[in-house]
Amino acid sequence: MSDNEQDKFQTELRRIKPAVPPETLTARLRTEKPPAKASWMEVSRSGTRPPQLLWWLRWLIPATAAVVVAAAIWRGGSPSTSRPPIPAASSEINAALDSPALRADDVQIGQELVSSFDAVARLPGGEPVRFQFQQWMDEVILSDTSQGLVVESRSPRFEVVPVGFETY
Amino acid sequence: MNGGSENATPAQPDWEQWLKQHAPKFLLFARQQSRFEDDAQDLVQEAVVECWRRQANGAPPAAGLVFATIRRRAIDLGRSHDRRTGREALAAGEIPTDWFDSSVEDRERNRLMQHAISSLPDIYRDIITLKVWGELTFAEIGQALQIPANTAASRYRYGLAELRKLAGHIFP
Repeated sequence: MSDNEQDKFQTELRRIKPAVPPETLTARLRTEKPPAKASWMEVSRSGTRPPQLLWWLRWLIPATAAVVVAAAIWRGGSPSTSRPPIPAASSEINAALDSPALRADDVQIGQELVSSFDAVARLPGGEPVRFQFQQWMDEVILSDTSQGLVVESRSPRFEVVPVGFETY
Repeated sequence: MNGGSENATPAQPDWEQWLKQHAPKFLLFARQQSRFEDDAQDLVQEAVVECWRRQANGAPPAAGLVFATIRRRAIDLGRSHDRRTGREALAAGEIPTDWFDSSVEDRERNRLMQHAISSLPDIYRDIITLKVWGELTFAEIGQALQIPANTAASRYRYGLAELRKLAGHIFP
């Protein structure tokens, strides 16, 4: 069959339309419509996050953690430094809790299927077993609208589900 | 699965329009993958809902992903069915469902074509269905059937030639 004949035959076949699904199936599919989810892209665009602030946050968070750890080591290792009384420490903690750096008023949690594929292997006994692999991307977005902060965290996740073959 | 074809997910989710466009070809493929009409409809419903729920942004899924899910679920369904049940159902005179539109003037031709396609080996029938009526690219067909795209292309060519012989009396 030449390319020309193949194209012509394919065109003839496409003129035959698949049957319209029965109304019962269409009705079932209509009722199964999943709820609309907010697009991650839309969330990012709607956030009031200045790009410069995000850049600073990338440095500020680890730098702050380093300073706190260094201060704790210095205070703990210095014999001449007297530890503050417990009530004072409690008041510091309370003050810190009263003014948190990030007060999230919107939390978005989502997961996205990146890829899915199957593979077949054989057990030592010779039995075939099918593995279904799914790669997901989990995402968490914390938003503090009062300060205009949006913090995103994305982490990949891999799921492997073994599916046994039935033997007849 | 998007593959840059005409089956890329639309930007504006429109469930009704998407169903109208894709449900007939999903059902055609599902009918070829299962022995019973009820199973075929269940396959379509489960695959569509599963794929749609996996979409992070709520947009309708790519058609290739739904075809792949229909096929995977049909394989699992076939394994769970007892073969004896299938033979008994066939012996009881199961009425075949029309795969193609039977409301037009070419009803008889469409039934003959259904018979010709059902006579094809599975490896050819699946690829021809996905290419002609599913409108997938060979890359998408390869992903759906878990075969290389080149293999899909060569099988399509052989399958089309085979179908041409079987349907010679329909398309002289």
